Amino acid sequence: MTIAHANADAARAHLSEVLLRTGQEDRDAFRELYTLTSAKLFGITHRICGNAQAAEDVLHEVYLTIWKRAGAWEPGRASPITWLATIARNRAIDWQRAQGVRRTSPLDDAPDIADPGEGAEAGMLASESSRELIECLNGLEPQQRDAIRTAFFDGITYAELAIKRAVPLGTMKSWVRRGLARLKDCLDG
Amino acid sequence: MVDPATDTGVPEDVAAAELALGLLEGEERGAALRRVLAEPGFAAQVEWWRSRLAVLFDLWPERAAPPHLAARIEASLDGTPASAQTGRFAWPALAAVTSAIAASLLLFVMVRPEPTVPVSQPIAPSIPAARPTSVLVAMLGDAKSPVAAVYDPANGGLRVAAGPGVPDARVAQLWVIGGDGVPHSLGLLSGRPTSLAPKGVDRGRIAPGATLAISVEPLGGSPTGLPTGPVVATGVVARV
Repeated sequence: MTIAHANADAARAHLSEVLLRTGQEDRDAFRELYTLTSAKLFGITHRICGNAQAAEDVLHEVYLTIWKRAGAWEPGRASPITWLATIARNRAIDWQRAQGVRRTSPLDDAPDIADPGEGAEAGMLASESSRELIECLNGLEPQQRDAIRTAFFDGITYAELAIKRAVPLGTMKSWVRRGLARLKDCLDG
Repeated sequence: MVDPATDTGVPEDVAAAELALGLLEGEERGAALRRVLAEPGFAAQVEWWRSRLAVLFDLWPERAAPPHLAARIEASLDGTPASAQTGRFAWPALAAVTSAIAASLLLFVMVRPEPTVPVSQPIAPSIPAARPTSVLVAMLGDAKSPVAAVYDPANGGLRVAAGPGVPDARVAQLWVIGGDGVPHSLGLLSGRPTSLAPKGVDRGRIAPGATLAISVEPLGGSPTGLPTGPVVATGVVARV
């Protein structure tokens, strides 16, 4: 085990413990949870909501949800950060879709999300399953990989993806479906 | 395992991935959600994809939250809820008890009004418009054992997946809590999928933003007309 892995394991164990204590309505634990995770979760809500004020309001809702729901988190079923990040992504998508406006242009100040396949980053990912998914994504054709990654990170639908990449809806569906089928084969393999 | 392909020719595992990624909208999303309810194998595939794709969160860049936000959140933990979403119901705790999986499946329209202006950007004709007459869905309970409910306003039918396990000599009862904040019984559930036909006035209560709740009651249902036993699952109704 590398030092990076050991650190990741320790961080995860600590976050698990903080989340469990939050579930027991421990305010100090909630504060620490916020300190440990708010930059990650704000990164998520900001990218999907597309503006700082909405991202802040959604993040507020996210932490209220976490405060009330932390007791339902089950260690072992989902990693703590995955559980928290999923709540943030879902809330942000709910917000975005409730606006009724399609988001098809990139955010002015949203950073590109690194494609770890190109460098050494894949090796730094903490978990085996992370590396496996990244490697399988890298095995896809570029437009398949781009579409799947964009759907995940921007929280957008087929129709929005098609507009964003200026291809017919049917073409986009075909790219994504072939990519997902290959991804499944790779992950199962 | 069900037939590997639907009538649209999309393999089951790919269809599950489409839903898990959030690619679908409108009727396609509704159809996929109905499939989750009807096919446990499909539901398991959706969950598999969700957990596999979740590792992408590792790559998500961080961004410092505004410094004042921590105090604002903490101030709202008790006392006056900061958002309409948690303050709207007489049972605020229940309204907030939506699970991560429900959040991922549902479009919460309760806080914001339905968009009434058409989208301003030009949209290719092949993109389906939102259907105001589409079905309503709620996922009750937690991610471990969600209970799905689907209401079709067109025919007034409410289908509920297998209800939660209850002790002997007890029965699960389904309630709707709408704008009045008062639980109204929709009927009794069993361990098998149940079809209910709510009365006219209760049909109107099953609207986006309403809460569905399941309580454990004596055989025959609550004797008082209000929940008397523990509430074991809740979920928010949303249009799909």
